[in-house]
Amino acid sequence: MLSSSQNAVQPNVDRLLSRCFSVLLLLVLAICFFPAPSSAQENVTLDDAVRQLAERVAAIPNLRGPVRLQFLQDPDFAADTGKDWEDSFRKEIEKRRVTISGDSSANLLRVGLAETPTQLVLSAGLRVSDKEEVRLVTFPRSAFHAANTPVSPVRIEKQLVYRSVERILDAASLGSASGGGLLLLTYRNADLSLLRLDANSELKEVIPLTAPGPYLSRDPHAELLVHLADVSIFLPGRICQLNASAPADIKCRAAKFSWRSPTVATPACDVGGWRLEAEGTDWTTTDLLQVVPEDTARKGSAALLSDFPGPILGINGGEGPASALVVTRNLRTGNHEVYRITLACGN
Amino acid sequence: MRFIESRWPAAISVALLVFLMPAAAHATKHPKYGGTLRVEISVAGVSLDPRTWKAGSVATAENEKLAALVYDRLVTLDDYGRFLPALAAEWSHDGSFRNWQFRLRPGVKFTDGSFLTPKDVSAALQPLLPAGLQITPSEAGVVIHATRPAPDLLEQLASGRYFIYRVQPDNSFVGTGPFLLAESSPPAPSDTNPSVLRPAHMRFRANEDAWAGRPFVDAVDVLLGNPPLRQILNLQVGRAEIIDIPPDLVRKARQENLRVWNSSPHTLLALRFDDAQPAAADAHLREALDLALDRDTMANVLLQRQALPSAALLPQWLSGYAFLFGATLNLDRAKELRSALPGHFSGGAEPLRLRVDAVGDLMKLLGERVAVNARQADLSLQLVSRSASSVNASADPPGIGLHLFAWHYDSLSPRAELQSLAQHLHSEKGEEAAAEPYDPEKLLAEERRLLDDRRILPLLLLPDYVGIAATVRNWSVAPSGEWRLADLWLDASESATSNPDASSGRSVAPGVHP
Repeated sequence: MLSSSQNAVQPNVDRLLSRCFSVLLLLVLAICFFPAPSSAQENVTLDDAVRQLAERVAAIPNLRGPVRLQFLQDPDFAADTGKDWEDSFRKEIEKRRVTISGDSSANLLRVGLAETPTQLVLSAGLRVSDKEEVRLVTFPRSAFHAANTPVSPVRIEKQLVYRSVERILDAASLGSASGGGLLLLTYRNADLSLLRLDANSELKEVIPLTAPGPYLSRDPHAELLVHLADVSIFLPGRICQLNASAPADIKCRAAKFSWRSPTVATPACDVGGWRLEAEGTDWTTTDLLQVVPEDTARKGSAALLSDFPGPILGINGGEGPASALVVTRNLRTGNHEVYRITLACGN
Repeated sequence: MRFIESRWPAAISVALLVFLMPAAAHATKHPKYGGTLRVEISVAGVSLDPRTWKAGSVATAENEKLAALVYDRLVTLDDYGRFLPALAAEWSHDGSFRNWQFRLRPGVKFTDGSFLTPKDVSAALQPLLPAGLQITPSEAGVVIHATRPAPDLLEQLASGRYFIYRVQPDNSFVGTGPFLLAESSPPAPSDTNPSVLRPAHMRFRANEDAWAGRPFVDAVDVLLGNPPLRQILNLQVGRAEIIDIPPDLVRKARQENLRVWNSSPHTLLALRFDDAQPAAADAHLREALDLALDRDTMANVLLQRQALPSAALLPQWLSGYAFLFGATLNLDRAKELRSALPGHFSGGAEPLRLRVDAVGDLMKLLGERVAVNARQADLSLQLVSRSASSVNASADPPGIGLHLFAWHYDSLSPRAELQSLAQHLHSEKGEEAAAEPYDPEKLLAEERRLLDDRRILPLLLLPDYVGIAATVRNWSVAPSGEWRLADLWLDASESATSNPDASSGRSVAPGVHP
């Protein structure tokens, strides 16, 4: 039986054994009534799909002589994929002994890459012996992942440290005393969870937060504060607290407080500090992170800018005085992303 | 892995935080609650009964936009190709895609306070589902059984008329959506000038208990049937926040520095031959007209680049392969074909009669352009107005050989959309509907088959255009074309006429353009 991947249920370890038998029974029943799916949805890279298309084109009966390639792709989508897929297709088709020519008399092979609401469609069409031959390869957009996404540490500015299909409300650094890494607060279907990442941004633990109860809002907003091992979660009108060593023991109470003030980063060479501000208008536009001098005397003297792939939803202090964590929603992919911003000295 | 740090008194850290945290604005922007969003649309009336909506009609698209305020769907599709749970919290299917199970989100209430039940969902969807799909309530949800594999069921349910509603004993409708219909008044004589009709009006109030969270605005006021130029004026002077703009007025709106958003092309304009006039049955005549049609000029000159020429039935954004269909303008060949036709076929004595089925000045202009193109190939084509051709709009008088029609794409499933379009076209010819291909190559072959005999000639694709006030924030539209009005908010600090989203782009690529 296939289930929506976005609705995966975290297993409750305590109840697992007691439910084992019933689960097995249900499984048997499910297998009886719902046969196994014909294919599981797997991650697909563009290279895989290009290879598949080239294979199918090369297998067209009576395809002889050189072909002239013409690529078509929506410019917005091309910004995501780049032109590498075109080179890959050229190589793959040549590998299968189809000659490519730039001669205008050569048979025109039109190759397209398109994005529909749910699918990515790779298509190829040409005339062979007065017959229009078309080959299509499609796969779900949700299964598509770019083969190589540059995620590399940078000396200054920003480093992508985590991305998730789940909505990330806030991120906080865990001090070295807690083993380092990050703590993320996620939101799905009115439920909150804490995600613990290690220093390499690998997911190490998921802690569902049931104590605050369902949080229904079109603008779910929450903030994390970590002090040593004590974690405070600020929700509208409430504060929940837990300790890193016993995260299941969470207590919530009504409280009045102000949301976090702008984060200030202080690189070693400038004790004056720089304030991190987002200036976007709403959730449909990409954002610029402005880094402006905190010192009013220097106002207007400089403002470093860094662009993000979507609206900035949260800014929190990082693990050091010169760093910060920025949560954004990538408008292109829909993923929530956490960036580490570091202000360093020099060029 | 568990946290290893020993426990600290949590209260200390919180006290420290509260002490240190000054009252200050958050670094990022936040939505604003409150206000009334004023929307003006050109259609004179809408229906919130999905059972009465006609597939492909422009009116249905308007109905869906307003229905999305008061109803929800089982699932939705986000902008990234992912299906999201809505009223269905989970779903599953068997390997053959014939049996689908949907588990309902618990605790969802209709706006009358009653709980949503599996029976409600079943009762709402059964009259809407196409033949071959059977829905039954189960303990915690619904089961949909398809007689043939339905791998695209989620695409279908996430678009079109598949809303969940309940018909009340008094024949009114309730939903679970972010708003509820609070007021509805038909057109009425104006108080100041009784000879002038005041447009129909609908007021939707925020549903405080909406399962997905309360919408940001308090209410949505919708004015129906206001003339487009008046709508533009109202947007300019701050009397409306959202208006729809016909393609022929987009240029004017942009020249006046209004914020204009356009969708992917959602409306197909096409010609359909009808054997009611004998000449239309001649394949050479049809080919001659096809070769004479100058789609590029229609799109770029007549419609001032607010449309795209099309040779396919499904648009590229929906099928992904439309670029493989090419239309060739070849007047010499068209004339050659014409000269071989019998003299009375589309000659001066009996011109081919073209009726414009869709309403609007733009359609009439387009019809005239088709007639000009036909004449360039020595084909005589006479434009017949709808009122002159038919007293009863549902029946054609004999002798109409060509129809200019508009089709609004309704489904996110290209298969379902093509089938629906084929059914619409074939039912008018009394033929069987198209087959049901699920394989994309079969779908393309089916589309080719529908176009091969040139009984249908696609012309243009039109996006939807919307004028948006500068005070509107977070404007977004679902892939199905529905406006996400529950997610937008109003920023009163903005001037109504300034244009924060102005960009240099001026194309029909989706987005906001000046």
